[in-house]
Amino acid sequence: MGLDVPAPEILRARADALRAARRWFWDHGFVEIEAPALVRSPALEEHLEALEAGGAFLHTSPEFALKRVLASGLGRIFAITPCFRGEEWGPNHNVEFTMLEWYRIGVGFEGILEDCEALVCAAAAALGQTLPPFERLSYAEAFQRHAGTAAPDDPIEADRLWVNDVESKLHNPTFILDYPADRCAFASVRGPYAERFELYWGGLELANAFTELLSPDELRARFAHNNAARVLAGRAPYPVDERLVHAIGQHPRAGGIALGVDRLIMRLVGAADIRDVRVLG
Amino acid sequence: MANVYETSEFRNGLKVLVDGQPFSMIYFQFVKPGKGTAFTRTKLKNLLSGNVIERTYRTGDTLEAADCEDVEMQYTWNDGETFYFQNTETFDEVPVSKLMMDGSEDFLTDDIIVSITMFNSRPVAVTLPNFIEAKVTYAEPGAKGNTATNATKNATLSTGATIQVPLFVETDEVIRVDTRTREYVSRVNTK
Repeated sequence: MGLDVPAPEILRARADALRAARRWFWDHGFVEIEAPALVRSPALEEHLEALEAGGAFLHTSPEFALKRVLASGLGRIFAITPCFRGEEWGPNHNVEFTMLEWYRIGVGFEGILEDCEALVCAAAAALGQTLPPFERLSYAEAFQRHAGTAAPDDPIEADRLWVNDVESKLHNPTFILDYPADRCAFASVRGPYAERFELYWGGLELANAFTELLSPDELRARFAHNNAARVLAGRAPYPVDERLVHAIGQHPRAGGIALGVDRLIMRLVGAADIRDVRVLG
Repeated sequence: MANVYETSEFRNGLKVLVDGQPFSMIYFQFVKPGKGTAFTRTKLKNLLSGNVIERTYRTGDTLEAADCEDVEMQYTWNDGETFYFQNTETFDEVPVSKLMMDGSEDFLTDDIIVSITMFNSRPVAVTLPNFIEAKVTYAEPGAKGNTATNATKNATLSTGATIQVPLFVETDEVIRVDTRTREYVSRVNTK
């Protein structure tokens, strides 16, 4: 009978990397927040399935709670917390996983991008590793370079080509920038582009960042759009978090990011399966 | 209505119809771009031609089940090109080409019971038990003093297969082998 526990040296590396991450946040004036895991409204996205628990939901990320905290006046916050996404299970997915999120007033996604590179390098340094400078590639260039074609207009076909032919070729740590405006999720939009980036390393998506949306009306419209898409796909609509709609825009320009801790550890220790780096429930 | 499998039901060994041809799923993996739709990436082996194709299905897509039946059969004999099995219930004899044995013929022990996949009353695939026990008919002498824990040497089995075994395995010993990976598992105490 296996213990379903990673090797001691992996658990030690994981703890060392997380300690370095926390130290980086403390050194840069961030306040750690304990985000609630049990929530009334899960992240209202078309492609995220929240688990129901006790008449509420287990959060799929601490995003909504942290944005409310940001509106309360704390300008630099972070959280490291277990999250839950139903139906997601594979070498790079576990229904329960650990997320690191941070938010800052006064910067857009460009400022978060600098934070992200510094933080990942600090975690690597704690394990005695030096990473090459992170590459920067636009969404369109990534398709051209790795799939040899322009990104398909149909979002589903674009996603299919991305997971089959692009993602696996992003070996070095790489920021993907300039997502088309219709792939904005909850990021603000400037011209034809969403103000967001994703970080890849070793063919794996590690993080997703936004310049935060500041318009309550726009957020409400995106919630309505996502709920309509969910219903169309035969999935349940989720309740809108009115406190979040109220909070949006009560703070100045801000940026935020969600980084998968297990996947970062996988890359730092060279593991091929997420179940090799976390204690299984 | 035809029996169908949803992406959440995908598993290795699933027999499905793609473009009217029967395939066996040999690999599947959940993949999902951060903010996009989820997919299951698969590798499917054509049960008639042996060709492997890659297909990526959206979550919620379905694949039609191939009308296949797995039947237990006992190995009887071979003439080098064709391998003969007998249905243990009807006693019908079923010939299987060497090509369809897919390289596993050198693990066939006397009277071994295998699973044969039938499609339209034709055998299309042979699956051996995951583990077999076989006698080592020849093992290279182990180098004395070599105690490296992962060192291996060649050994030939009574079934004809040559596999890698640990240095301590000797001729005439019976060993347990994983037929899927062709790897040594353990020695079998025959006393």
